[in-house]
Amino acid sequence: MSERGGRRPTTTALSEPSEVGTVTRLRAEGLALGYDGRIVVPNLDVTVLDRKMTAIVGANACGKSTLLRGLARLLPPKDGAVYLDGRSLADLSTLDVAKVLGLLPQTPVAPDGITVADLVARGRYPHQGWFRRWTARDHDAVARALDATGTADLVDRPIRELSGGQRQRVWVAMALAQDTDLLLLDEPTTFLDINHQVELLRLLRTLNAESGKTIVAVLHDLNLACRFCDHIIAMSDGAIVAEGPPTEIVTAALVEKVFGMACLVVPDPVAGTPMVVPA
Amino acid sequence: MTALLATPKTGAATALRGTRRHRLARSLTVTGALALAVAALFVLTMMVGSFRLSATEVVASVLYLRDDPSVDFVVRGLRLPTAASALTVGLALGASGTIFQQLLRNPLASPDFVGITSGAGLAAVGGIVLLRIGGLAVSGLALGGAIVAALLMYLLAWRGGVSGYRFILIGIGMAVFFDGLIGYVLTKAQLFEARQAMHWLTGSVGQASTAELRLLTGALIVLLPAALLLQRPLRALELGDDAARALGTRTELSRAGLLAVAVVLVSLAVAVAGPIAFVALVAGPVANRLLGPATGGILAAALVGAALLLTADLVAVHLLPTPLPTGVVTGAVGAPYLLWLLATTNRQGAGG
Repeated sequence: MSERGGRRPTTTALSEPSEVGTVTRLRAEGLALGYDGRIVVPNLDVTVLDRKMTAIVGANACGKSTLLRGLARLLPPKDGAVYLDGRSLADLSTLDVAKVLGLLPQTPVAPDGITVADLVARGRYPHQGWFRRWTARDHDAVARALDATGTADLVDRPIRELSGGQRQRVWVAMALAQDTDLLLLDEPTTFLDINHQVELLRLLRTLNAESGKTIVAVLHDLNLACRFCDHIIAMSDGAIVAEGPPTEIVTAALVEKVFGMACLVVPDPVAGTPMVVPA
Repeated sequence: MTALLATPKTGAATALRGTRRHRLARSLTVTGALALAVAALFVLTMMVGSFRLSATEVVASVLYLRDDPSVDFVVRGLRLPTAASALTVGLALGASGTIFQQLLRNPLASPDFVGITSGAGLAAVGGIVLLRIGGLAVSGLALGGAIVAALLMYLLAWRGGVSGYRFILIGIGMAVFFDGLIGYVLTKAQLFEARQAMHWLTGSVGQASTAELRLLTGALIVLLPAALLLQRPLRALELGDDAARALGTRTELSRAGLLAVAVVLVSLAVAVAGPIAFVALVAGPVANRLLGPATGGILAAALVGAALLLTADLVAVHLLPTPLPTGVVTGAVGAPYLLWLLATTNRQGAGG
């Protein structure tokens, strides 16, 4: 908490918890989410741990991406509310939220022919005004994001010429340029090969460790989630089945319950975190 | 690389500064050059003709700097309305077309194709053939038809928000439907009305009345700056709705605002000059070629539209053995471009 004072100028509206007893910045209470008439998440309470890296895992269509979209106010709640620094997202201006809470969607669209520099610069949107366009602060944030993701050499390249791994790092750079304390990522590793998946998770881990960013990612690979995240939220049928540090909650029984697969859970030979091996 | 996280002043900062400076310079140069070209073409269209004038005579007369009744009659009375019509209609079509294309994320999504122009055409032809009206009333009907068509499409495409793809499909369907109705109405027409309707449908900048021109000019003065302001949310919307919302854009509000600006501009342009083919389709991509990919300069696209239409008017009226309606010339240039676009977009994997 002590470091947050330095960041205050960008987050004046939101950085101080307005209610006594608010210990985390992002949480949901009695949250119901769905599309059209269909309810995907009926009633869910969740608290995102500050300065930790959290993975939301679960079988396909269990509502994990829906939950993430709900937390990022992309999907308005059917019931209940999401609170950011003690205030309901519905009561906050979307631009103010965007200064504190970033989200990388599952399938963002790169405009035809756009270059890396241009795309990453668009992450500065919430910090710019109708007339105030580009400042040294924007410049620094974009340069930092490019450096952190190792994409500085690519600035003049069009996105469509990049490999899948590079492209994903550029999108992460755009989300970083937004310079938010909280970053949510919807299946950031889905279309990457194993090497690039690990590389991206290492990058997120570093960002979390070095700048204290709170990170929440929907992940498919349970082993990678256990290896890289502090906290796991396991979902099934729109409800949270278990949550906690991977070593405490990931057991054969949980995997059976969440994914419907019989397995053995053994310690990862490198890191000692739980590793799921199909039985 | 991540060790550099804390220190922003690095190679990336330098490379970035260079890139941005280069882009800004290019954008200013291109937009400035386009503005000059449009001004030059504007004056040139008023110089040529059976009564040739010098540039100074034209400028002096337009700005009321000198009194010369014969020159004033030719310039202000005969040539200025056509030139002003080509200029304003071109600006409106260029701006409107590029907004549609960027908003719907598809180079084919110009108002010509998504049924707005056809809606205007149906209303105008209906007025000419069934109600036997002419002049300003036809323009009024065309304006109404375009706006009703746009609203209808927006409502039909609405499902808790408007997605670009659904809007395009519904728009193309509506365009075909309206074109069918136009054909049916024409079969009911007498020869005189049918000729008049066909003339309107080809599109010409020479048919504008002063009142229509004033309206379009007024709309441009208000809506072009509005479009330039809305360029900001448009840049976010281009990244997809989820990304735009995550960046803090009010997506539906911005989209509705942008569509409203684009629809009003194209409706007024069609009301003034009839459906001038292809200018709205071509202007945006040409501007992007000049400015660099994905820059989406609305002002540059508007200027390209004006330059295209002024050139087409020059060619149509002065360079060809028989004067032709402007729409025929823009169509002759635009059709090959469309074929090229259809042939190349899928190869680049950007066919949307």
